[in-house]
This record gives sequence, C-alpha cells and structure tokens, in this order.
Amino acid sequence: MSELLADDPEWADVVPIRQYENVNPIAPIFYSEEYKDATDYFRGVLKTGEMSPRVLQLTERIIRMNPAHYTAWQHRYKTVISLKIPLEEELELMNEIATTFLKTYQVWHHRRLLLTALTSIDAAARELEFLKTVLRADAKNYHTWSFRQWILAHFNDEERLWAGERAYIEDLLEQDVRNNSAWHHRFFVVFSSGIRLGDEDRDQMLRRELSFVKEKIALAPNNPSAWNYLRGALEHTNTPFSTLTTFVELYTTSQPPSRGRDEDVVDLDNPPPSAGAQLPAVAALEFLADIYEKEGGDASAKAVEIWKSLANEKDVIRKKYWEYRIRDALSKA
Amino acid sequence: MSLSRKGHASHSRRCLIGLPFSQVDIDSSRIALAFYCLGTLDILNSIEDQSSELDRETWREWLWEQHISGVYGTGFRPSPYVTPEDYKGEPSEYDLPHLVMTYTALLCLAILRDDFSQLDRPGILRFLGACQREDGSFSALPNGGESDLRMLYCAFAISDFLDDWSGIDVDAAIAYIQRCYSYEGGYGQTPSGEALGGTSYCAIASLQLAPDTPSSPRAGRLSGAQRLRTIRWLVQNQTAEGGFCGRTCKLADACYCFWCGAALSILGAGDLVDKRALADFLEKCQFKYGGLSKAPGERPDPYHTYLSLAILAILPSDHGDDESWKLPRLNALWNATEETAAWAREHIPAKARAS
Ligand SMILES: [Zn+2]
Repeated sequence: MSELLADDPEWADVVPIRQYENVNPIAPIFYSEEYKDATDYFRGVLKTGEMSPRVLQLTERIIRMNPAHYTAWQHRYKTVISLKIPLEEELELMNEIATTFLKTYQVWHHRRLLLTALTSIDAAARELEFLKTVLRADAKNYHTWSFRQWILAHFNDEERLWAGERAYIEDLLEQDVRNNSAWHHRFFVVFSSGIRLGDEDRDQMLRRELSFVKEKIALAPNNPSAWNYLRGALEHTNTPFSTLTTFVELYTTSQPPSRGRDEDVVDLDNPPPSAGAQLPAVAALEFLADIYEKEGGDASAKAVEIWKSLANEKDVIRKKYWEYRIRDALSKA
Repeated sequence: MSLSRKGHASHSRRCLIGLPFSQVDIDSSRIALAFYCLGTLDILNSIEDQSSELDRETWREWLWEQHISGVYGTGFRPSPYVTPEDYKGEPSEYDLPHLVMTYTALLCLAILRDDFSQLDRPGILRFLGACQREDGSFSALPNGGESDLRMLYCAFAISDFLDDWSGIDVDAAIAYIQRCYSYEGGYGQTPSGEALGGTSYCAIASLQLAPDTPSSPRAGRLSGAQRLRTIRWLVQNQTAEGGFCGRTCKLADACYCFWCGAALSILGAGDLVDKRALADFLEKCQFKYGGLSKAPGERPDPYHTYLSLAILAILPSDHGDDESWKLPRLNALWNATEETAAWAREHIPAKARAS
C-alpha cells in the first residue's frame, strides 16, 4: 500500500486523532502502521465532520483493510450524498470491493442504500446482472441472495426484473442441482412474492412446478433440496401428498422399475429415476410414509414399517427421529 | 480421544490478550469475541485458573467503558475503535452502542460476576426501543445497520435479562419472526430468506423467551404442523459426518451444531440428535494446539470453539469414565452456563437491585 497520510502534504491540515484505549483492553488488535495512520486521520475527519473527495479516498483505504468498519461505510455514504456524486458511479466503483469482500454485510448494505436513493429500474436491472457475476464466484452467498430478493421486491417490476428470474434459476440448477439457495429463490419468485405475470392460472403454474421438480428428482433422487421444494409447493397450495403416490413409488424400491417394451412410452407425469441412481431414496421413503400416515387406518402400519427401516438401516443417523415419528403416530392412532 | 480442555482454555486466554492484525475486522464486534472467549472459560470452569483477580477487575472496567449513553438511550459499543484519544465519557454521534454487543457485554459481565451497579437500566430499555424498526425487527444500531432476526433475538434476551419487556413492541416483533418462516421449516435471516441454522435458533429462542401477550400467548406462536416441520428440517441438517450444516445440502460446520442442536433442545427435541455422532464430529474439529475449528483440518477461532463446547454441554453424550467431556449445564435460551444465568437473574433486573 502507498505511504502514510502522515507524510502526505495533502493531509497536512488535518489533525490525526489516536484511538482511545484503556490500559488493559480485552482482545486488543495489533494494528499495522498503515491502519493506525488511516484510522487516526479518519477520527480527525469525524471530529471536523469533513465530507470531501479526499474523505472518499480515506474511507476506501480503510474499507480495503477492514471491510467490517461500519463507521467508515456510514461516513462514506454521507459524503457521497453530500458531494452529489452520481450514485451509479459509486455503485460501479464499489463493484470490485463487493466482489472481493462478498462475505461482508456492509458491502451489500451500502449498495442497498445507493439503489434506494437512485430509485431507478434501470439501475436495479443492472444490479441484477452484476449480482449474477458475484454469484458465479459464490453461488450460495447468503447476503447476495437476500440482496437480490430485496431488489426484486423493492422495485417490483414484472417485465424488467421478475421476468428473467426463473430462467436464471434454471441455469443455476443446471450447474448444481443441489444449490439450495437457487431452489429457495425459485420458491420466493413463484410462490411467496405475489403472482408473477403469466402465472395467473394457479393450477397451470403448479403443474409446471411439479413437473420441473420431478424432473430434477429423477436426475438426482437423493437431493433434499428438491424434495423440500416439492413438499413446500404441495403444502403451500394445499395439495395432498397422496396425489404423487405413483411418482414417489418409483423411488422407494431398491431396483429402478424395468422399462421393458414400453421404453419409448415415457410417462411425463412420472419420470423414472435416472440410470445408476442410488435407490431407494430416503426422502422418497419418508414421503411415502407421510402419505400412509395421513391415510390412517391400515395404512398406518405401512408407515411404521417404513420408519423402522429408515431407523435401523437406511438413515440410521436419524434413528431417534424416526423412532419419534413412530411413537408420535401410535399416540395419535 | 478426550476433550482437550487445557488447550481450548489457553486458546481463549491467548485471544483475550491480543489478536493479530489479520483479524482487524473483529474490531467492530470485539465484545462478541470477548464473550466467546470468556464463555469458553466459563464452560470449562477455567475462569479462575486462566485469569487473575486483577485481570478480571480490569476486564470489567474495560467493559463498563463501552457502556455509553446518548439521545438513543444506553448500550455497549463494540470497542473504542472510533473513540478519540481525548474521550471523557461523551460519545460522538459516530460512537454508538450496538445490540449484539449489549447482549454479549451483559453476559461477559455476568461471567465475570459483576454486581451491575453501573447498569443504566432505563437507558437500556430506551436503546432497545430506538433499535426497533417499524416492521417489528431490530437494527444493530439505533440509527440503522443490519436489521434481522439476530438483532431481534438480542433485544429479546436483553429484555429477559432485565425482566422488563416494556422497552419493545413484542407483538410486532413476533409477527416479524413469523414472516421469516420458510417453506423448509427453518427461519431465514429476514422475511422470505432461505432457512438458516443461526437465525432459526434466534427465532425459536425468541418465541420461547417472550412473555405471553394478550394477542400472542406463548402456546399459540407455533402451530403443531409448523413445529414438526421445523424439527424435521433441523434434524435433517445432521450430516453423515455427525455435524450439522446450516442450510440444506451444505457441509457440516461446528457452529451449526450449536445453532441447530440448541434450537432442537429448546423445542424439546434435543434427544432426536445422534449425540455420539455429534461429539465424534466435534472431537475431530479440535486443533492440536487448542481451540476448535468449523470443520476438521481448519484453523480454530473463538466463535467455533465456544459454540462447540456449548452444544456439548447442552447435548452431552456418554463417554464412559472419560471426565474430560463433563461440562456444566447450559441455559440454551440465554446461551450461558446455569450458574452464570443464575447470577444474571439475580443481579441484572431492577428489582434485584432494589432488594
Ligand atoms: Zn461456522
């Protein structure tokens, strides 16, 4: 990094202020010379309330050394506003910092403030594109996804913003079908943020979602993210699990069903497991047991059989849980 | 293998003495780090052998120096990292108390058996109110910052420490928690967020902490189906390695062993965890020179060290006569040993002071 501000004539008029520290602090940090220098000048700036281009440089310098320094971010934002810096310019300038420090909350909070102040759908659309590049580096980054969801809900423009989301999610799931953040985002877009343009026919929408998730299950039957999505979609729309019995049974046997002479006749509603899939799938057994439990009567015994096999053989880490399910069902019977 | 109690205690002691510059980002959350270190010593019953009376005296003094007041009320700042050298007890508008720091400072002081005679109780209540946003959530600072379930939990825990909930709008906060419930059964950090272990703990503990209100009796806050879905999701997060992941299809991480395991325990379902597998995973997270890391083979840190020990205290498994694994009981709602929690209960509320 460049030399100290203490040696820089441009800063000669600012009085640096050292950090207050009691004699015996808890967990003091052994600051580097550069950090001490920059934060001494920053305290000096805070005291006078200076908001100037050099303050922008100073806050950037501090943020690069300590991206969690929220006071530097706060003062930077105030300075940007006070100097009437074009907000797009600030966003652009912060792109590289966001990519480098994507795990730091403040990075995203700053962008959120800028976008809020910008009130521009164009800027929001550009931001969604930028976030795609960030998610390429870390496809499950929590802050990035929450920020994306915030942009969609805050600017709420069907054609410019929401419309592209499903295709984007499909790309991501193409690359990694176990990306739970992408599955969650799909649930957000399709079910929990209002009705998307073109999704007014709710039955048709549900059919589409079910066939999408079934296809993904066929591809990777032991993927909890897809099964959770399936359960969520059914529960959200009050659709009984039993409507999927035929599909689920394809995944509860140890042998994939033989296709025989009907190989060419593919039942689109019930795609079979892909070749080489590990069967039976624990999630499918759980799902089938849930159907039996709900059905009650004689079917309850079948549910108990499945839970026993999960407890003792197929999912032993959750033995206690499956035994609890048995007790719970018997107590209700 | 046994629990390297000595190693973990001295790791905490080392961090309390000082941190290298590579950890400068801790500066804006230093009291939280102090809590992880002191909490570790507390669980290991090592406060007295890892510190002198003088150390504890000066630590208490340092903590009280972070207890600051302003128009927003009173709370604890993370550290004096923006405080000027000539500070005389009048914080600037940039030097603000922080919710997480206030929660962890109170716990640190209870661990250090402070008498809390300096605590500005009405000021703390005002500060909690200043942090509550219109949507019922809480932000980290009275003038904004992160606003999510973690902050809400801290505000609830502080209200419970004080045994005074008059600083906040409990109903609005509970409605916010419910908006964070996800289709998977866990809670996201903010409404409509992806289910996450840490914030699910915050949600479940908060629903349990808040007293009955006329419109939200405790018993009505979670439907039977919701509760079952939450338990299912939490249990599903225990991976084949024995540890817990924080989100579906992610890798096991020591901190999520606490967040998911403690949440299950609060829901009365702690026994559904495979405790032996959990302990085996955490055993492998031990670093040879002390401390625990998020996963086997990684670098240790106070956060993962504390949370690993805390969950081992909440969900102990049978280790025969290996005494090293014996830990004191822990209060899962407050995240403190029962002894420390009892001290806090006795000294933090206003009426305790009056009596
Ligand atoms: Zn972790």
